[in-house]
Amino acid sequence: MPKTTKIWGLILVMVLVFSLTLTSCVTPSPTGTGTTEPSDGTPAAPTEPTVTLKMYLVGNRQEPDTPKVLEEANKYLKDKLNVALDLNVFGWGDDYDQKVNTALASGEAIDIVFTANWAANYYVNAASGYFTELNQYIEKYPAIKQILGEDFLNGSALNGKNYAVPTNKEKVHNWGYLVRKDLVDKYNMDVTGIDSYEKIEPLLKIVKDNEPEITPLCIATMDAPFQLLDWDRISDDDVPGALYPDNRNNTIINNFLAPESIEYYNTMRDWFNNGYIHQDAATMQNQLELMKSGKYFAASQSLKPGKDDEIVASTGIDWVQIDVTRPVMSNRETTGALLAIPAGSKNPEKAFRFIELLYTDKYVKNLLNYGLEDVHYKKLSDNVIELIDPANSGYNPGHGWKFGDQFKDYLMSNEDPQKWEKFLAYNDEGLALNSLGFVFDKTNVETQISACKNVVQAYYKQLFTGSVEVEPTVKQFEAELKAAGVDDLIAEMQRQYDEWLTAK
Amino acid sequence: MAEDISVQNPDIIIEDEHRFKTNTSNRISPVSNILLNILFALCAIICIAPILLIIMISLTEEKEILVNGYTFFPQKLSLKAYDYVITAGDVIWRAYGVSIFVTVVGTLLSLMVICLYAYPLSRQSFKYKNFFSFFAYFTMIFGGGLVPWYMVYTQLVNIKNTIWILIVPYLMNAWYMMIMRTFFKTTIHESIIESAKIDGAGEFRTFFVIVLPLCRAGLATIGLFCTLGYWNDWWLPLVFVTDSKLYNVQYLMYQTLNMIQYLASGSAQFAESSKVLADLPSEGARMAIAVISIGPIIFAYPFFQKYFIKGLTIGAVKG
Repeated sequence: MPKTTKIWGLILVMVLVFSLTLTSCVTPSPTGTGTTEPSDGTPAAPTEPTVTLKMYLVGNRQEPDTPKVLEEANKYLKDKLNVALDLNVFGWGDDYDQKVNTALASGEAIDIVFTANWAANYYVNAASGYFTELNQYIEKYPAIKQILGEDFLNGSALNGKNYAVPTNKEKVHNWGYLVRKDLVDKYNMDVTGIDSYEKIEPLLKIVKDNEPEITPLCIATMDAPFQLLDWDRISDDDVPGALYPDNRNNTIINNFLAPESIEYYNTMRDWFNNGYIHQDAATMQNQLELMKSGKYFAASQSLKPGKDDEIVASTGIDWVQIDVTRPVMSNRETTGALLAIPAGSKNPEKAFRFIELLYTDKYVKNLLNYGLEDVHYKKLSDNVIELIDPANSGYNPGHGWKFGDQFKDYLMSNEDPQKWEKFLAYNDEGLALNSLGFVFDKTNVETQISACKNVVQAYYKQLFTGSVEVEPTVKQFEAELKAAGVDDLIAEMQRQYDEWLTAK
Repeated sequence: MAEDISVQNPDIIIEDEHRFKTNTSNRISPVSNILLNILFALCAIICIAPILLIIMISLTEEKEILVNGYTFFPQKLSLKAYDYVITAGDVIWRAYGVSIFVTVVGTLLSLMVICLYAYPLSRQSFKYKNFFSFFAYFTMIFGGGLVPWYMVYTQLVNIKNTIWILIVPYLMNAWYMMIMRTFFKTTIHESIIESAKIDGAGEFRTFFVIVLPLCRAGLATIGLFCTLGYWNDWWLPLVFVTDSKLYNVQYLMYQTLNMIQYLASGSAQFAESSKVLADLPSEGARMAIAVISIGPIIFAYPFFQKYFIKGLTIGAVKG
């Protein structure tokens, strides 16, 4: 029996691929491709052929059971919208970027792509005109706007135009520490009242004094308590220029040399000298791997409700979450996970209606996220499920946060039943930053940016980890940044930001 | 008779003397012999050590890698990494099949295309020799860029997501063609072709029956280059293949390593990155994939070795 379904799945895929091959061969008619699905139900509009929507997502891999899931989804989608879905998943990083960017540049007929500030760069591709402007559709089908809220949706717009719609999930972020639960219990540590990165010091001291085998603080490249200063960066991580994360003013400063940062470098230097930080911190790459090794007590992390449970699952060690900074809504969240419709799409309206379904239709959302009921997951109650053999499952893509309304996802049995309520409360708690929706245009200062990046890359690791004397290094750092044109860079940032503010 | 010998003898003596002389002057002293041996032994170790290390890591227990780092001498051996690779099975074996098919078919076709282009250019009597030489040479200096290249294969010849996309783009290589042309030129004298012609052979017969068998060394050299090129390629699947059934072994490995590096570097700024990272294969499993991907290609070397050096040196004279 499984064999035959497999063969049928294969045939289905072949038919699908074949039909796609054909359609990209022939100049397609504006209505799109002919139907390839074995039709079970009656189509919504029998005169109109079913449109196949090609969708690209980023993920671990193309799940082996994707054809089965799509078969099921397409039966439903045919009745609902008279569309069929062709879902392709490509790997994180280069894999996804290379494929999607090349396809976009060549104007290929893709209907929906995942995009973000970190994958298939949303800003660049939108500015290059590779994405369809969605405002008309957002007005015409208002469900998405109602679910996301005006603030959040506008935050993802570029110059007032929406080129993609963000996932409805946690809309804010905060920073803090994860600390080992066993040690907290053992020494009866007090983890309350830590509202700034340096206040964790007493805990580190206890570990240092009593546990010779364990390093108190784990740092790897950018994953350092520096993040707890939570600078509202204007550009990339390693480009100077940021605002304070509390809307105190609209002046952009060089965050690497701000008084708070220098104080941080000094603190780290003390900690390093006290042995709170491992000697090789400046050269380590992978914080999670280090945490897994069980040799570290605390690590700085980007947090959200239930982050500790998540990390417990991935490290096999119990952690306690210490929330340090206040939750804020920044560009990081508004453009953290979006779906866009490429300009090459022949059916943007159908594509948009399908995207809308991901926000409004619980069945479709969960089908694509968890697969088939009783094949890939078991329902324990109305909203709680359990995955069937997740390690060897044919469909366990972890798509939940990548599209649509995450609050419509089923909860897993090991998750907090209040998870979504906590998320909503967390979202409400967040402060919307002034810079929300501002996008820095790099064209005028590209030389300065790359020069500054080089300087920052050369210095930040030592300073973030306290591996060098602070005063002489900062002096050198400052001089080199100046030579690299940091003043021009920040002036340009300020100019664009002011213009944007007045326009707003 | 006696005269003959006396006439011949001095020659022999001189020749012997000559041979002796060259021998001594070419022979290296024991000291430098030892030094050279040590030097090359070191080179060999530098080459082999990393591979050994990879094999050892793939056999080390996961926990131990995290705690102690990489080592040649793990305290505890474990086959768990290979277990993972084999159970994650389907994907990897499929990719293996793709790699082998592409390498074998690609190499054969590529040799064919290259030889068929190179051979006419090696012949004096070919009228448009210069034009076609330049035509090939031109592609070595100027390329169309990524997007036009992509469009040619996806829109003009629509072979995206077929096995051919992994073969066709590398069929012709101007540089190999030039090596092959020079090889034909230096190995095959015009008179051989002439005599074949006199014996009644047509151009194709001359080429396939006379010329190609004489050029085995050149074929082996270019064949090895093509084999390695096809086996080690991950660029074509990266750009063109969106159907995971057509991924090859190198690409799977590239993808896995690249994903882990990317997620670990913190450039992926989404809150779920740590969770995703945890689902990816462990350190040991990655090394196991690497070991497996070395696989059959390592056997290609001894096979080609016989011809390799000769082919390379003869063909290397450009012109």
